[in-house]
This record gives sequence, C-alpha cells and structure tokens, in this order.
Amino acid sequence: VMSAQSAFTMASLSEEVLLVVKKVRQKKQDGTLYLMAERIAWGPEGKDRFTVSHLYADIRCQKISPDGKAKIQLQLVLHTGESTTFHFANESTALKDREAAKELLQQLLPKFKKRANKELEEKNRMLQEDPVLFQLYKDLVVSQVISAEEFWANRLGSNNNADSAVSNNKQEVGISGAFLADIRPQTDGCNGLRYNLTADIIESIFRTYPAVKQKYSENVPHNLTEKEDRINTGSQDIFSECAKQDEMGLKSMVVQGVKNPLVDLLSLEDKSLDEGYGLSTPVPSTSNSHKTVKDSSNSAIIKRFNHHSAMVLAAGLRKGDAPADQASETSSTDGNSRDSDFFQPPVKKEAIEYEDLQRENRPKTVALNLKKSDRYAHGPVPLQSQQYTTSQDIINSVNYIQHEMTNYKPNLAQVLSSASASSAIAALSPGGVLMHGGAQQAINQMIPTEVQGELKHLYAAAGELLRHFWSCFPVNTPFLEEKVMKMKSNLEKFQMTKLRPFQEKVQRQYLSANLTGHLEEMLQSAYSKFQIWQNRRMMRKT
Amino acid sequence: FRLNIDGLLVYFPYDYIYPEQYSYMLELKRTLDAKGHGVLEMPSGTGKTISLLSLIVAYQRAFPLEVTKLIYCSRTVPEIEKVVEELRKLMQFYTKETGETNNFLALALSSRKNLCIHPEVSSLRFGKEVDGKCHSMTASYIRAQRHSNPSLPTCRFYEEFNVVGRQVPLPAGIYNLDDLKDYGRRKGHCPYYTARYAILHANIVVYSYHYLLDPKIADLVSKELAKKSVVVFDEAHNIDNVCIDSMSVNITRRTLDRCQTNVETLHNTIQQIKETDAAKLKEEYRRLVEGLKEANVARETDVYLANPVLPDEILKEAVPGTIRTAEHFVGFLRRFMEYLKSRLRVQHVVQESAPQFLKDIYEKVCIDRKPLRFCAERLQSLLRTLEITDIADFSAVTLISNFATLVSTYSQGLTVFIHTLEYLTGTCKNFFVMCVSVAPQTLSPLDIYPRMLDFRPVTMASFTMTLARTCLCPLIVGRGNDQVALSSKFETREDFAVIRNYGNLLLEMSAIVPDGIVAFFTSYVYMENIVASWYEQGILENIQRNKLIFIETPDAAETSMALEKYQEACENGRGAILLSVARGKVSEGIDFVHHFGRAVVMFGVPYVYTQSRILKARLEYLRDHFQIRENDFLTFDAMRHAAQCVGRAIRGKTDYGLMVFADKRYARADKRGKLPRWIQEHLSEGSLNLTVDECVHMAKHFLRQMAQPFRQEDQLGLSLLTLEQLQSEEMLQKITQMAHQS
Repeated sequence: VMSAQSAFTMASLSEEVLLVVKKVRQKKQDGTLYLMAERIAWGPEGKDRFTVSHLYADIRCQKISPDGKAKIQLQLVLHTGESTTFHFANESTALKDREAAKELLQQLLPKFKKRANKELEEKNRMLQEDPVLFQLYKDLVVSQVISAEEFWANRLGSNNNADSAVSNNKQEVGISGAFLADIRPQTDGCNGLRYNLTADIIESIFRTYPAVKQKYSENVPHNLTEKEDRINTGSQDIFSECAKQDEMGLKSMVVQGVKNPLVDLLSLEDKSLDEGYGLSTPVPSTSNSHKTVKDSSNSAIIKRFNHHSAMVLAAGLRKGDAPADQASETSSTDGNSRDSDFFQPPVKKEAIEYEDLQRENRPKTVALNLKKSDRYAHGPVPLQSQQYTTSQDIINSVNYIQHEMTNYKPNLAQVLSSASASSAIAALSPGGVLMHGGAQQAINQMIPTEVQGELKHLYAAAGELLRHFWSCFPVNTPFLEEKVMKMKSNLEKFQMTKLRPFQEKVQRQYLSANLTGHLEEMLQSAYSKFQIWQNRRMMRKT
Repeated sequence: FRLNIDGLLVYFPYDYIYPEQYSYMLELKRTLDAKGHGVLEMPSGTGKTISLLSLIVAYQRAFPLEVTKLIYCSRTVPEIEKVVEELRKLMQFYTKETGETNNFLALALSSRKNLCIHPEVSSLRFGKEVDGKCHSMTASYIRAQRHSNPSLPTCRFYEEFNVVGRQVPLPAGIYNLDDLKDYGRRKGHCPYYTARYAILHANIVVYSYHYLLDPKIADLVSKELAKKSVVVFDEAHNIDNVCIDSMSVNITRRTLDRCQTNVETLHNTIQQIKETDAAKLKEEYRRLVEGLKEANVARETDVYLANPVLPDEILKEAVPGTIRTAEHFVGFLRRFMEYLKSRLRVQHVVQESAPQFLKDIYEKVCIDRKPLRFCAERLQSLLRTLEITDIADFSAVTLISNFATLVSTYSQGLTVFIHTLEYLTGTCKNFFVMCVSVAPQTLSPLDIYPRMLDFRPVTMASFTMTLARTCLCPLIVGRGNDQVALSSKFETREDFAVIRNYGNLLLEMSAIVPDGIVAFFTSYVYMENIVASWYEQGILENIQRNKLIFIETPDAAETSMALEKYQEACENGRGAILLSVARGKVSEGIDFVHHFGRAVVMFGVPYVYTQSRILKARLEYLRDHFQIRENDFLTFDAMRHAAQCVGRAIRGKTDYGLMVFADKRYARADKRGKLPRWIQEHLSEGSLNLTVDECVHMAKHFLRQMAQPFRQEDQLGLSLLTLEQLQSEEMLQKITQMAHQS
C-alpha cells in the first residue's frame, strides 16, 4: 500500500488510479501495474517512479497468453509496433489479476481508439499501400535523418488531393479464392487447435461472408481484440448459426435460378417422360440409409466449394466493404452479386453468328505488328552482334591498310611522350578506362543484388531529401530559409550516416566500380547551390 | 451468295464459306437424290446447321413434290431455338436476294411449359405441372362437362383456338418459340395447339427427338406427318440411348401399390355408374366391338398419349372379348397386377426375354398375349367413359397397362428384369429409325451407327475441319512427373499416387491456362472421391489460389447456378475451373465457347458402368443380332463420350482450346482410332505419352501462339473461301478429294 501511495503522489495529482495490480513482472523485474484514466504505467518494486508508461491512445491492442500456459501474461502492442509484456506473478491470484486488467483495458481502449489520430491512420494506410514510401520512411525517419513531421510535411497535403481522386475510381481489390487456405491451424499444446487469423484474412472473411460479419458485430464487443478473442468467445452456436444462414443463402440462390437460358439445365431438356418411364433407375428409399457418412461429407464438401466460390465472386463485385445501406447488405448476403443483373446472357442471335463468315465491317484497328513473334512469346533474348561484312569488304579494307602502311612515314618530331603513350595503351587495353564499354554491361552481374538494392534505397532517400531541398528555392520566406538550412544539414547528415558507410562497405568488398559517384555529384551540386545562396545572403546582410 | 451444288441453286447467307460446308452440301445433295439414309459427321462449329438448311430449303424449292417437309430434330431447347434463328437468317437472305416474299412456314415446337401463355398455368415451374393443369382445362370430356356445368375452369386461349384458330392457318413466316407466344397473345390463341396444328402444313418443323422417337408422344404429334419428309437428327451421337430411354418402363413396389388403389377406384366408379348410367357402359362396349379407330376422335387434347407403339393394324381390330366389358377389364388388370406383385417377390435378379415373360404369365394367371396388347388402349377408353378428371392420379395404372402393351407387342430385343431392389424394368434395345440423315458433331467410327440402329445408309461421310492454324491441341498425359502411370482403370482407381498426380496436373494447368478450364471425370462417384482426397491433400486450396472452383452436383438447379457463376468468373477475368462428369448434363448440353473453356481435361476413360444388367443385356443383344463385339461397343461408347466432352471447348474456327486426355490408355491405337477424325488429325506422335511437366510445357507454347491476333485474311483461301476461290478449278478438286477421303 505504501508504494502505491507514493506512486500515486508521484503521478500527477489530478490522475485517477483505476486499478492497481501488484506482483507484476516486467523484464524479469518485480513491480506494480497501475491503470490510470488515460494511461497504463508500471513501476519497479521499491522505486517511486514509472519506468513504463503508455497512453491508452498509443495502444493498438492487447494480447493475452493462452489459458493453458504456465506464464500468465498480458501484452500491449503499440501503434509504433513496439510491445510491452507484463507477467502476472502473484501465484494465487495471477489469473484473476490478469483478467481484471484485461477487462478494464477492454473497456478503456476503445474510448481512446476512437480518439486516435485520424491522420495517423491515414499515414499508416499510405505507408502500407506504398512500399517505396515505406522504405523511404524507414531510411529517413526511423534512422532519424529527418523528423516524421518533416517527412509528412508536404506529402500528406499534396497527396490528399491526388489520392482521393485516384481512390475514387480505384478498382476494388477482389478477394483471393484461397484465403481460407492461408489459415494454418496450429496445435496449442493441449491437442486443441488454434487458428491464427491475420487482419487480411478477417477482412476477407467478412467481405465474403457478410453473415459472419453481422454476427461478429452483434456478438463480439468492440473492445475485444480481434486477434485472440474471436475464437475464445465466439462460441459454437454463433458459427453454426452463420452456417445455417449461409445454407439458406445457397438455397435461395438455387431457387432464384439462372438468367442465362443457355446454362439452365432444368429447361434444357425438352421431354417430359412420366415417372416410371425411362432408364433412370429409381433409387430405392432404403439405400438412403446405407449412404455412408463419408459419402454425405463428400457431397457437403462439393457444396461448400460451390458456395464458397460463389460468395467470393459476389464479394469481389460488391461495391466497397462499407455497409452503406441496409438494403445493399441484405441483398448481397445471399451471394448473388448485384452486378449479375448487368451480366448479359449471350443473346440467341449471337450464339449462331459465324463472325468469320461475314465480311468484316468493324472499324480498322491497328494491329500489333510483331517482326519477331518468337521474341514476343519467349521474352527478350540477348542480342548477338549481327554486323555482317562481306568478304569483299574485308579484302578491300585489308588492301587499304596495306596501302596506308606502305606510305606511312613516322613524323618523329611530333610523337607523344612515352608516359602518355603508355597510359594511352593502358587505357585502351582490356580493363583500361576506355575499354569499359564491354564491361559496363556486366555491372549488374558484378555487383551483388543486395548491394544493388541498398543503392536503390540510397537513391530513393537522397532523391527525397534533395526534392525537399530544391523545393525551398527560391527562398523568399523566413520559413523556407529555416527549412533550407535544415535540409542542408539533413543532407550532410545523410552523407555521413548513410552514404559513407555504404561507400566503405563497397570498398571493403573490393568493388572497383564507382557506384556512388553520381550520388555525390548530386549532393555536391546541392551544396554549391546552398553555398551560393548563403554567400548572397551574407552579402545582402552586410 | 449463290452456289451451284451439283446443278442445284443454293442461296447461302454469308459472304464466305468453309470448304467443308461445300463438301457437306454435296454429300447431302447426293443423299437426297438417292432418297436414302445418310450419316454425316462434321466437327462442331463448322456451320453444319446453316449448310444443311440452305441446301434442303433450296431442294424444297426446286422439287416441291419430292420433298414436302423438313423435320429437324434437335436435342435441347436452346439448340432448337438456335436452328430457327439460323433459318430466319436464311429466309431474310432469300427475300433480299430474290426480292419476293416466299410463303415458307417454319416453326419450332416444344412442350406446353415453353409455349403456354395462360397466366396461371405458365407460372408453374415444372413441365409436368403445366401439362396436368392444361389438361384439366382442355380435355375433351371436361369441355363436354362444361356444357352442363359452366363453373368449370376454362382456358380461353384454347377455346379461341378451337373456334377460330383451325380455320385460320398460321401465316407464312418463321416462328420461334417466342414468336409463337407473341402470335398467340395477339390473336388470343393457344400457341401450343396452334403450333401442333400448324406442323401439319408447315414446310419446316423443328422439335426435340422425343416427338419423333418416343412412341408415346410421337403418335400424338407426328403421326400425320407426310411420307415425303426429310428427317434430320442433329447431334445424333446419343440416338440409341434416346430410343432405349423412350421404350423403357420401371415398375416398383410403390407403383404397384398405387396401382392397386387406382384399380379399386376404377372398380367403385364402375359400380356407381352401373347403378346410375348403365347406358354409358353399353355404349362403350358397342364402340369397342367396332374397333378402336373411332376412339381417336377428339383425342388430341387428352393427355393419355396414344397407345405406345401400337401398329396401325391393331387399331383396326376389335378389342378382344375378354376385356371388353368394364368389369372384366378391371378384373383382368387386377390379375395382371397380382402377377407382377408375385414376380417382385424374388430374392435374386431374374432376366427374361419378352416371350419367356409372356409364357410365364400365361402359365401362372392364364393371360393371353392378345388382350395384353390392347391393355393400354382399353384403359384409356375406360377412363374416358368414366369421365375421370384427374388423370394424374391414374399414372400408375397407365404405366402398367403401357408396360403390358409394350411387352406383348415387341417380342424381339425386349428384356424384362426383375431386381431384388423391388423394381422391374422392361427395356427395348432396338427401334426402327425412319431416316437418319445427319450429322452429329462427334460420331466415330461411323459404321457402328448403321449397324447398331439397323439401317443401310446410302452416304456415309466424315468431314474434318480445315484450319488455317491448328486451333486445337490434343495431348495425352500418360505419366505423372514421378513416372507413375496415370489411369482411371479399376486397379489403380484408388491409388493415391494417381490421384495426387491428377491433382498436380490440374494445379499446373490452372496456373498457365487463362480464364476457364473444364475438367471431366468418368463418373460422379469417382469425382466425389477425388475431390475429397484432393481436399485432404490440400491440392484444392492451391488450385484456389489460381482460380475459383465450381463443381457439378447431381442436382440440376445447383449445377445451373454453379455454371452461371463459372461463366461470370470467366467473364470478369478471375478465371474458374469447372469439375464435371462425362455423361452428365453439363457434358451433354453446355458449350464452352472461347474463354469459357480454354482447356478441357478428361480424367480417365469414361467407360459406362459395365456391371449394369441393362447394359449387359444390350451388349448381348448387339452381339447376337448385329455382330458388334462387346469390347468394340464399350470402347466406342467411351470414346464418343470423351470426344463429346473435349469437343465442348472448340466451337468454331476462331475458337481455340487445349484437350488434355489424362489416361495412358488413350495412347493405344484402338482407343485413339475411335476418336473423331478432326481430333485424331492433330494428335501427333510426340504427344501420346507425356508427363505432366511436358504437357504444361506444350500447353504454354500452344497458348502463346494462339493468343496472337487471328484475322480473316489469315484464313482466306485456306479454311475460308470467297465465291471466286470456291469456283477455282484447283479448290474444287481439293474439295472433292476431301469428301472421298471419308
């Protein structure tokens, strides 16, 4: 009680402590966990300060260890991707403690989640969608070349407009037909099965099976973290109900029948053999009971596959995943995509056309004119030099050279110095500076791909920084002035922390090629620009 | 343009023509001149329908007295409608070219379900319901009763037709099903009866096989069709099965039980009528003495289809005395029924020929052959006399009387089975075919058909497809990558290595083939097993990464849905795989044009289930009467179905597709030789025993080549001809050679 008291006094006085849990270990250190109104904090035993403190708004989700595990733990995952694990070590009440903390967090987190920065989400989304941007972010922000604000400064604003325009007519990404195959069940040690669902899979499931989503939103309180608790709390009933609903959907799809008369097997046959006629051997009712469990499960599998494919197809065609209006929701739960109304069955007339028997009268289009269709079919083939000289040409040129040689008179007064002559010979012999033409091609083979990738990242990062730098010119506001100064130092920092180590690394690997020359040149020209600008400013000031 | 086919002026409604179409018309002309049967085989998508129609219409115009009518039998409703549309196109061309409107009448005929316009009746979903409802309004005795009781329901469309429609013939023109309905709505006539009436004087009639082959319907619809008709069976490769189907009867214990109640009802009704209206029964008796001829009057609306296959001479005979009075007949029925019941009490399967069966009846219950032959006719007369309204209830007793008549009329080739599973089947293996003069798409070797159906054709020809590019690529995959022989034969059917390799094949194909792939299995059970073990092995999951999977089920409605979704998935670029069954509904009636089927994979050889007793009897019959060896027939049958399946993918010269036969047995000469010529031609020696990898490699190459643009100019002169090219000496020579080859 004492330590709690002291901690309490130590924390800002206005803060209200909602829960105190003792004997909680963090990083193998005993301590106490406090749940406050706006943050969660932990302080080691005997000390009166918090070594761990997270605002609820920073917490993305909580995870708990499975019930069977010896250690009873609770993990907090932050938006930044870091995580903190607490181990509840009080032997008698550990489980209860953990549950209490979990419950409270469940209530608290969503409140803050809603408040969570919308911008953050937007940034997150951009990073997720654009791997190049993500790499840049890693190179520049995570390695602290520039701050996050700087990085986002002119990105969010400008991209927002362009992005919304793009996203308006961006094609909806469909759902992989095999998303269920990506779920790899694992045993949890007690002969039970654990299904790890990623956010992608969950989204796929929701989009494909709206019934599940509906049930989910009805039954799973929002404060449960999706990752763990769905299986824990989602009882068997819910799923069987969903299955029933899907079954209904399947039936209604079948009852609705098909629109395309050419595939309607029911109306294909034009005969009405009465019952009892025909060769179809009637299945005696007794044999139904003989049907083994295996048979019926086989046909169930087949049914599920059909249904699954239909649902995936419908989900792909459904507009967006936002439940815009209830009507659309209900109409699409039966798996019949609304787009299928626009799916025109081939008209009878069309089915009898022989397009090649008629004279073509459609507008002339430009056909792709392939000189070497083989190359089109098999991809590019390394070009072999195909310069061809006739034997007559060769004879002529030999004659010509001979002729020249006979008339050759060395002009000894105007010869090169021996040094420059030998350097010229060196430059022209294989491996020399001027003979690089042939070797140039091999540069991508000479350099390991890993280095190449690194170089690419460097270029991207340098480009981004330089973009920032050059965008400051003309410098006509104090803000820009400040920025250009900062960018200059950023560039220098970049050169020091990124470019140099890379150069050293390249040297260490004895790669002869000068890979970073161009990068340095770019930086150099930026510096000189800066120098000129600064000089001018100095002159103006003085 | 106009063609000169062996001295006959033929209008052909296109600017270009395929060489094989020309050749086909020549053969057809020869057949017509000889007034005999012909069997012509032509690959699908080479425009056989339009060539056939052009020629026969031209022939009809040139020799109106020789050929009065063309009866075109096709298989499915969409096919029928397609034929009529092609005909419409041809006729429009005639009008354009000659400038005169000709007075051709051509129409399609289908069941009531497809033609009814009565608001209530047409809303019913099943054909049987529609027929029953229609009958309850239009049957002759119901209409007679209405005079005394006007409250009975009536169909105004039929009444209108009856009063006015018969006098006003259908105006000349081309009538598809929808056109008939339109006409019916406009005039207030019943389209179904209008069409049925109009076929008597129509120049061209297009309908389903069953209207001609099924004796139970044929007698009603097609009896009065003129002798000088040309009859065409399109897609006739299954014609033997259709014949067998239409002559088969199944009787179960349940049928007999229901029959029992029927007979009781009949008995009671007779007793009642006897008390109230004995004169009616006397009148009937008198009629029966005079013969059955009269009984035909006013029968067209009745649902009792006429006596199955009763030869005409029977109709002229008087009904035998033993069953002439109503009570006697009911007693007779009862005895017959009891006899059947006793026969059903068997512990093992019994197989008897018709004469044996008849002899047994005579010994056990003293029923002669003659009254049995009249059984069906007599029952109908009785039902009419008793004015029984709801005939649906009497289907059981009708079935049994039809069976009696069938078994006593056809002594040859009919076999009676009595199964332990408590049903009894009568089957006919042979049936007269009036004049087969066409051309199913896949039908080889041709000579087995004439032998099987017992007729002598004057022309027999198989045409191949002339191609500017090899747009089909048949491959036989005989081994897996691990060199396991792939086969669906009985010994290795359950072998996991085979199943895995099959899965592997499909998986690899799903990765390289764009859009749609159709895979066929030999039977439904086999498919179920394979799908289950693919599911367990995770193969299906991997396939799902590439394409969506749809599977045929025994339920037609479900399969239709799966098919539609399959097409949708192909349409929107996602790509899909359809797992289906050879001999199933999909393989019989659905085309996979262009991107709906870029590859067909045939897993195994689709042999028919050989343990079936009916098949065994049939094989025996074929061997004894037509000298067709069992193995020959079985292989022939399997290969025609395999060809039928893979042929679904290629529907024309601009189409292209892979055909993968995944079974090493296809490589054998006896199997390969039974594939249609147009497939055999493209089966190179190098592609007879491929591994999965090799197959994938060849498929990749083929698909890349085919994906190049293909223009009309590429075809011209080779597989597509202008009139000038056609008339060139050289080409004519080539075409005559083509026909001679076959």
